Amino acid sequence: MTGKPPERIGARTTLQKLLSRFHFGITLFAVALSGLTILLAGVTALRGYADRNMELAAQLGAYGVEPALVFNDPQAAREGIEPLTRIPGIARLRVLDDRGQALVQWASPTADPAPLLSRLFFPHPFAVTVRRNGSAIGTVEVWGDSSTLIDYVRIGLLAGLGCLLITAFGTIFLARRFEYELVKPLNEIATVAHDVRLHRRFDKRVKPLGIAELDRLGGDINALLDELHGWQGNMESERALLAHRASHDTLTALPNRDSFDEQLAQRIAAADTRSERFALLFIDADNFKAANDSFGHAAGDAVLVALSAWIKETLRKGDFAARIGGDEFVVIVDPLDADVVPDNLARSIRACVAQPVELPGGETYHASVSVGVAVYPDQGGDATALLTAADAAMYADKLRNRSRV
Amino acid sequence: MLASLFLIGASLTTPQMSAQAASQTIVDDNEDGMARAVNRMVGGIASYVWWPTGSAETIRVMCVVGTPRLTNRLAPGVPGRGTVLVRRISTTAVTGRNDCDILFMGRMPVPDRQKLIAWVRGRPVLTITDDDAACIYGAMFCMNERAASLSFSVNLDAIARGPLRIDPRVLSIGRSDGGAS
Repeated sequence: MTGKPPERIGARTTLQKLLSRFHFGITLFAVALSGLTILLAGVTALRGYADRNMELAAQLGAYGVEPALVFNDPQAAREGIEPLTRIPGIARLRVLDDRGQALVQWASPTADPAPLLSRLFFPHPFAVTVRRNGSAIGTVEVWGDSSTLIDYVRIGLLAGLGCLLITAFGTIFLARRFEYELVKPLNEIATVAHDVRLHRRFDKRVKPLGIAELDRLGGDINALLDELHGWQGNMESERALLAHRASHDTLTALPNRDSFDEQLAQRIAAADTRSERFALLFIDADNFKAANDSFGHAAGDAVLVALSAWIKETLRKGDFAARIGGDEFVVIVDPLDADVVPDNLARSIRACVAQPVELPGGETYHASVSVGVAVYPDQGGDATALLTAADAAMYADKLRNRSRV
Repeated sequence: MLASLFLIGASLTTPQMSAQAASQTIVDDNEDGMARAVNRMVGGIASYVWWPTGSAETIRVMCVVGTPRLTNRLAPGVPGRGTVLVRRISTTAVTGRNDCDILFMGRMPVPDRQKLIAWVRGRPVLTITDDDAACIYGAMFCMNERAASLSFSVNLDAIARGPLRIDPRVLSIGRSDGGAS
């Protein structure tokens, strides 16, 4: 067994072929067995009939040759057995007188088709003692031949061959049916499994199948797919959460500094290709450190959340806001319409955040912000320059605010 | 009755075959051979004849008239049951008595023969002769010696006239020779 080469893939058989082969084998066995049984039973029955036939022939011969034996007349004996010579299946006839000497003999002119079979079936002649008024006056002996048996066997074998042909066709038909009934559902299961593995189609399911075992298999596969589908969904949502966390500020839920840098680069590229302008607003809370110190960090957080909410409210579709530092926010106003004055944008932001903020302690706080605006590409040709310009504008605004206060 | 019908039918269809030699019993070539053959044949014929009275076991009396040509030692052996007693008597004695079941006619004057045949007519008596090779003088069975063999012929007309029933197989043996004589 050690030297056995590994089985080639091409040598594998299909389920249909396997079933067909098994079917054929089983039906062949059944047909052969029943055919053989019938043939044997037939041969036995026929042999019984042949025996009876021989016996009757011998009796008939005994009746016919009785006077011939009484008168010791060979000619009459020949005539007495003449009717027997016309009975098929008789090979030889002999009439013996009371001293055991042959009065007349006859052998069939047609040759025995199977002398061996004849000897097997009729090993002894059928002998009938001829009696006249109670005393034996001679014997009639009849030898059978196998011609009738051979005819029967020949017909039996032909019929068996016919049965085998029918069996072959029946097997093919059954195998086709099996392919439909068994192989098709299996193929369906295989197709689903293949689809899931190759295309990650976790929503695919095996349809209910007619065969209980296969249906159970399909159900199990479906359950497995359900689980896989669940895992897949969990994984995706978790990944999305992680991605969100990586790009957003947890306190205000605004995009963080990394997202902003990415976004700014994209906006610049987009503005370059479309030859458009956009504005970058740099927003910084005034006196935030003082507020934080006097009201506590919770209050500071509340201020930041409120600020971010107001900033979000001012955004139009397409605009982008991010928290890039402790109390620093940026807003990209994109696209920037030609008739919009950048300072108006800063003013509207400032107006928005002028509302009082409810602190956790019950106090109210009036926040104010400094806003610097830089327009791309007018105030900065790249991200850094633009940000610097916006930052500078914000400082200028802050200084103005201080002098205002 | 059946035999009679058969005989009538046979005689009607083949009238020219009403008397023909047929059976050929092989005769052993020694001094007892002929006697044995004759006795066997007579006994055989007797065993195939049914008399209106009695059974197969009934002892049948064979009256021998005239001089038998084939053998002097007439003692027929009936196969199986049945016995035949032999009595030698004269022509006149036969007609006077009533116990003859079989009448064996040897060589005798023609008038005697005619008288006996006439007497037998209608009686249950089987007539056998060994002195009528052509079987034309009225005996039912005629034995005839041929080269190394003994044969008998049947006179169907004679049988048809009497009340005896005879096995058709014997009749067929007796007329199956195809008119050789």
